[in-house]
Amino acid sequence: MSTEEKFGWDRRRFLQALAAAGLALPGTAGTVLAQGKEPLKVGVTLPLTGSEAGYGVDFVTSMHMAAKDVNDAGGVNGHKLELVVIDTQASPQLGINAMNRLATVDKVPLVITAWSAVVKAQAPVANREKMLELSVGANAPDIANLGDYVYTLFPLADVDVTALAKYTHTTLGKKRAAVLYINNETGIDAAKIYKTVFEKAGGEVVAFEAYDPKATEFTGMLLKVRAANPDMVHIHGLLVDVPLVMAQMRQLGLQQRISSYSVGYNPKLLTQLGAAAEGFIVTSLAPGVADNPNVQVLLDRWQKEMNRAPNGLPYMQYIFDSVLVAARLYKHVLDKNMPITGTSMREALLAVREFDTPMTGKTIVDGHRVTKPVYLVTVKDGKFTPLTKLN
Amino acid sequence: MTDPIVLLQILWTGTVTAASLVLLTVAFSLTQKVTGLWNFAQAGFMGVAFYTMLFVLNDLALPLWVALAAGAALTAGIAVFTEAFGLDTLRARRSGNLTFFIFTLISAELIIYVLTLLFGTEPQTLFPSIMSPIHIVGGVAISDWDLTAVGITVVMLTLLSLFLNRTKEGQFLVAVADNAKLAELYGISAQRAYRVTAIIAAIFITAAMYLVGARAGVTPNSPMELILSAVIGTLLGGMGRVFMGGLATVILALLQSYSVLVIASRWQNLLLYGFLFITILLFPRGMHLPRLRTRRAPAPEPSV
Repeated sequence: MSTEEKFGWDRRRFLQALAAAGLALPGTAGTVLAQGKEPLKVGVTLPLTGSEAGYGVDFVTSMHMAAKDVNDAGGVNGHKLELVVIDTQASPQLGINAMNRLATVDKVPLVITAWSAVVKAQAPVANREKMLELSVGANAPDIANLGDYVYTLFPLADVDVTALAKYTHTTLGKKRAAVLYINNETGIDAAKIYKTVFEKAGGEVVAFEAYDPKATEFTGMLLKVRAANPDMVHIHGLLVDVPLVMAQMRQLGLQQRISSYSVGYNPKLLTQLGAAAEGFIVTSLAPGVADNPNVQVLLDRWQKEMNRAPNGLPYMQYIFDSVLVAARLYKHVLDKNMPITGTSMREALLAVREFDTPMTGKTIVDGHRVTKPVYLVTVKDGKFTPLTKLN
Repeated sequence: MTDPIVLLQILWTGTVTAASLVLLTVAFSLTQKVTGLWNFAQAGFMGVAFYTMLFVLNDLALPLWVALAAGAALTAGIAVFTEAFGLDTLRARRSGNLTFFIFTLISAELIIYVLTLLFGTEPQTLFPSIMSPIHIVGGVAISDWDLTAVGITVVMLTLLSLFLNRTKEGQFLVAVADNAKLAELYGISAQRAYRVTAIIAAIFITAAMYLVGARAGVTPNSPMELILSAVIGTLLGGMGRVFMGGLATVILALLQSYSVLVIASRWQNLLLYGFLFITILLFPRGMHLPRLRTRRAPAPEPSV
């Protein structure tokens, strides 16, 4: 049975759904019109090169898929959606440069961006230039406090890390945790949250160690952890270092169960670690294939078009949806005859607030935050397997 | 944390982790000794060695020995090419030190840029798995990778020592390193010595990148980090003292590893830069181990 038969969802129906949602001009051959009107630009700043490109490139590919879906369904009131993509290498400085270029050269009213350090660095530019900055995937908790023009479509670390720390103590019954984190924007705040929540739940954090973002050798730190004798280890790092820390942990004889956040949800990690990854728990802020059949359709599409699975699936689901949110905001602005500016886009975001998106379900923008259920996934028999859903 | 097993584990892991850096430092230091140049192009050669091996292993699915041979051959080829068409040209023009420095740096960046275009920037490991079987010896975890790293490093350093001390070609390198013009008066070709040095450095670089790539993800930019360790080792060991550079690298790696016992892990790299800063300021010719002075027996009184 094909996925479409199984779940009753296919791309054609998805396009019809977009039209029904009002993204396309009703009752017209939207595709034709979409080619005639001025395109609506969406700025995208993601790492296309550098150590994080493994995610960034796949995210952009997914965004192009989403934009194509919107345009195939007639665009937004007949306007094609156009992505203006600039590489940040996940570097704050390059992120600022990209934002300045989007403001002054491309004059986009709306920018989709990610990586906590980049989102924070770009915020002053967004606020100054009155461009709507939508963070998708960055999870530093203080992203909620970056100013009037900075919003997130992705739950911040206090959502999934809080849920994970509570689950580790109350459901898994772990009493002594070690927290290892990368010493940058991604790790510092999230590690503090994990520690606070775990201790508040009654557990003890017996080791709390930061490592340099460029480190590749963790023996000393891991021996400290071994001496502290935890019964759970939480690692909050990046794509490059999390597998390395895990590998060295296992090689030093540390057999404790390991957890991480969405960054660990990476098929390559399973190949790199093999049996050493068994029992690994990662959070996912997006529904998996068992919870949402649309995800399987997207995976099938990836397999067909790219001949592989995408990196960072949960992030990618949000990234895919973010293009549809941008389209919805543009539609609101056009329908209300508002000027296409960042201020209008911000007003549209606050007015619409609720977005029913195909990959991550209902998204409600609540101030500068969004709240979503947390899905836990674990590695079982060499595969990522759903563990539980935490509301 | 003062458990002897922990201290031994740090000693062992710190030493084997330094193995690849020792090979890179020896390559850098030998080149500096013979040619008198700080050849930063070696960062580019590191990238060439790694990605050649990666291509041969992953895309061509050929055995490891072919990958190593191809990596060494291509790296040596590019190193000799850079020597013959770049550095020799600058020597002929009697260019200043700054020109050489900038040329080697730009060569590295150029190679890294090309590698980025060809292979992308996602971290890659030579083998799909980064796990290595472990043996516990006296409570200390020793992996197969550790044994390979130590074995390769010891064999290569021994061979280099034999080459420099026991072969005519090696003696020529030493002569050119001491005084190139004087060596040429004795019929030794400095140009040949430079090219032989480039080939030796390429072989060391290939071995080092095999060790690095078997254990951790490498991106085209990674060699820029690695060459910094080679520079620091060369400076600490003292310019022209190739094997001391290697030893300095091991000592520095151990200092970094042991530092975790007293400072947080995130400060480890500060030690590296701190040492570099202090060495350049206070020990511009490197750190010298105190010589052991043996008391000589007094000469016998001449008999009258």
